[in-house]
Amino acid sequence: MRKLAIFLSAALALPAFASAPAGQPAPAFSATDLAGKPVNLADYKGRIVVLEWHNFGCPFVQKHYRSGNMQSLQRKYGADVVWLAVNSTSKSSSDYTEPAKLASQLRGFDAAPARYVMDDAGTVGKAYGAKTTPHMYIIDPAGKVVYNGAIDDKRSTDVADVKTAKNHVAAALDEMKAGKPVSVASTAPYGCSVKY
Amino acid sequence: MFPFPTVIRVFALALAAFAPAFAHAASVVKTEHVEAELVADKAWAQPGKPTLVGLKLRMEPQWHTYWKNPGDSGLPTRIQWVLPEGWKAGEIQWPYPNPLPVGPLMNYGYEDEVVLLAELTPPASTPTGGGAQAPIRARAEWLVCKDICIPENGELDMVLNVSSAEPAANPRWQASIERARNQLPVEAPGWKYESALRGKTLVVRMTAPAGSAPPAQAAFFPERENLIEPAAPQKVSRDAHAITIEMRLAEPAATSLASLKGVAVSESGWAGSGGHKAIEVAAGASAALASAAAGSVASAGSTSAGGSTLAALAFAFVGGILLNLMPCVFPVLGIKVLGFVEHAHGEARALRMQGIAFTVGVLLSFVALAALMLGLRAGGTQLGWGFQLQSPLVVTLLATLFFVLALNLSGVFEWGAFAQSITASFSAKGRYADAFLSGVLATVVATPCTAPFMGAAVGFTLTQDAAHALAIFATLGAGMALPVLLLALFPRLLKRLPKPGAWMETFKQVLAFPLYATVAWLAWVLGAQAGNDAVFALLAGLVLVAMGAWMYGRSLHAPGLWRAAVAAILMGCGLLVAWPGPNAAAGEGGAPRADELAWQAWSPEKVAELTAAGKPVFVDFTAAWCVTCQVNKRIALHNAKVIAAFASHDVVALRADWTRQDPRITAALASLGRNAVPVYALYLPGEASPHLLPEVLTPALVLDEISRLPAGSTAISQR
Repeated sequence: MRKLAIFLSAALALPAFASAPAGQPAPAFSATDLAGKPVNLADYKGRIVVLEWHNFGCPFVQKHYRSGNMQSLQRKYGADVVWLAVNSTSKSSSDYTEPAKLASQLRGFDAAPARYVMDDAGTVGKAYGAKTTPHMYIIDPAGKVVYNGAIDDKRSTDVADVKTAKNHVAAALDEMKAGKPVSVASTAPYGCSVKY
Repeated sequence: MFPFPTVIRVFALALAAFAPAFAHAASVVKTEHVEAELVADKAWAQPGKPTLVGLKLRMEPQWHTYWKNPGDSGLPTRIQWVLPEGWKAGEIQWPYPNPLPVGPLMNYGYEDEVVLLAELTPPASTPTGGGAQAPIRARAEWLVCKDICIPENGELDMVLNVSSAEPAANPRWQASIERARNQLPVEAPGWKYESALRGKTLVVRMTAPAGSAPPAQAAFFPERENLIEPAAPQKVSRDAHAITIEMRLAEPAATSLASLKGVAVSESGWAGSGGHKAIEVAAGASAALASAAAGSVASAGSTSAGGSTLAALAFAFVGGILLNLMPCVFPVLGIKVLGFVEHAHGEARALRMQGIAFTVGVLLSFVALAALMLGLRAGGTQLGWGFQLQSPLVVTLLATLFFVLALNLSGVFEWGAFAQSITASFSAKGRYADAFLSGVLATVVATPCTAPFMGAAVGFTLTQDAAHALAIFATLGAGMALPVLLLALFPRLLKRLPKPGAWMETFKQVLAFPLYATVAWLAWVLGAQAGNDAVFALLAGLVLVAMGAWMYGRSLHAPGLWRAAVAAILMGCGLLVAWPGPNAAAGEGGAPRADELAWQAWSPEKVAELTAAGKPVFVDFTAAWCVTCQVNKRIALHNAKVIAAFASHDVVALRADWTRQDPRITAALASLGRNAVPVYALYLPGEASPHLLPEVLTPALVLDEISRLPAGSTAISQR
């Protein structure tokens, strides 16, 4: 009887979009970077990993790059964490940018992610349930998601808001560095939708 | 609210000085994808009284702006009012949002046009004399998205006249304002709301005021962001009093919820809300609602709707009673009742026992069929009610069975000695067995007839655990057995029927014709499933069966074993001829005709593609073996006016043919909360969930539904 009920409810609830909530193990992935080299999350076990969903076509992402906010975070924490920018923009979207052009844009903004993951099939994004650009995740050395959400608490495209906003990612990374648990572990991400 | 009061005051004074030049000259801001302007409800404002103004945004086709909860991404539009001193501005009043799917994500917002309303109140001291005017300014910021997103903004101004007279309507923007006002969620009097968290599900239950019914379909938009997974399908269940919506919580799932605020939208409106499609819902947490399905939550977080089980049982019972009137069931019951009439003068107790045996036969066969269906589903086969008829073999056997029954009623043969030897029908025991078997027979022949009430009940069962499902099917059976049971328990009722006599023979022969008609229809079903050759094989087989039956009838009068033997051989050959081959192929009919809708084959992708292209889509979930479907098609859909309306409103007609089983159609039906055909769904561009039409259609009903659509696809953009 119970099996039947499980089957029936499973059959009705169509599987859609996965998620990686804080407190859960981070979904493993292997993808390629801008240069076509493999990127495996498993290779970074034992280190803190930051995932940043990225798309330069999005005004919310532009806000954090024009203000220099994202680059300074990438640099500030670069020694302690593995900063992976992930681009899940589908090839069919008008926001899709060729890797070569992306590389030059990243240089132009002086961006400093450790690796830049090309996920135009959307596999990584869907496994994590990445909804917006930016959408930020922090994975602890044990491979557990400890933060999932927005970059900060000012949802806007206004560059001026960066200064007054509380940066959730910086706060979480500082707490981790101090050996404390992450106090704000999940927030609602904001931004443009990921162009799957 | 007033960041630059001094500047503005100066500006306002300056403006007031030039007021005549600006009178009624609302400036329109045109950005790349949006045209924005301020609009006013009334021709003038009255001091001390709130007046309604709005920010009107007209988006390019397919571009959208956002609701206050934008869903998975996006940004709500913001308005900052810059008003003369002492004026007050109220909060934005948001028209109800549309679900806007973006790939696997979902946004809540507006396409084409939206007017965000707000109340402005001039101070009571505002001077009114001599054409007094007030400059109204607004800084608006909006994010407009299609495939890409662009933050835009505009500084808008408008001059409001001020007068102490009762404000008159402002014809200039009346249509826009009126449309927006109709789209504002209202407080529906008498409705009660409860909410609860059940594991990873958010449940909201909306109970209609006494004497009113809830709508059949609705969608819920919570005010709080990140509370639910906006793209996850919402599960709607409904009973006579309430509609319940279950939503998947966003991760990490909320663990407590004191109250839930949001907007519920139903195309068919809400009782008592004056025709408004959207109502404001403020639902307190309800422990009863949370525990209503605690049992099923424990088992796999199934999402059953507590209160609706009783309603489903009631529907099943009524549906069961209605089954008695179906052309395929009625003759079988007719025969049973005739039997009762014949024995009405016999022992009352024997009659009662027969009635009970019949009821037991019906109940057991219903439960057995349901168990078979659930078992097969558990085994992974996508099945729904009526699945029996998806097999050409079952259709052939049923056609043969109906044919033999009909021949019997026509008097070609009597069951006679043959039946006697099997059931010894003159003994009491034999009669019970006979009654039991006619119960089984009645159930078997009833299955194709999906009575209107059954669709909902059967659909409901499949969202339930097996115990619920079986209970519902048993209730269905109880409903069907009820009339016969009543006659058996209260033989006095039989006395109201004419005395046994010659009329019974005539009545019996008349009953043969619905059965012949059923055979004709089954032959057509078989044709749709297995092609023309299969129909010929069936008919040729039936001729042999008829010869066998005739021979058998003769053998009763002129005893001789050889006749019975020949009869048996003929019957056997008949079945053999009719038996459908394994590779019976389907044959689709030719080109569409002028007196029919231009049906195209259904697929979920096609629906998505067409609605994305801005076309309304009508989907007919049908099957050749579904009588209601065929009647609806002939009467309500292939009607000249309906065909014309479809054409003039650019509605695309898709047919989802469930004659043979198709897991995709079964899944689509399940997502609509149904598990049987017919289902008629009207998908509108920009609306995630379709509008379901009733199972029994009339041309007027369909026309009414279509007439609510804007004529032609260009009008949708309201330009």
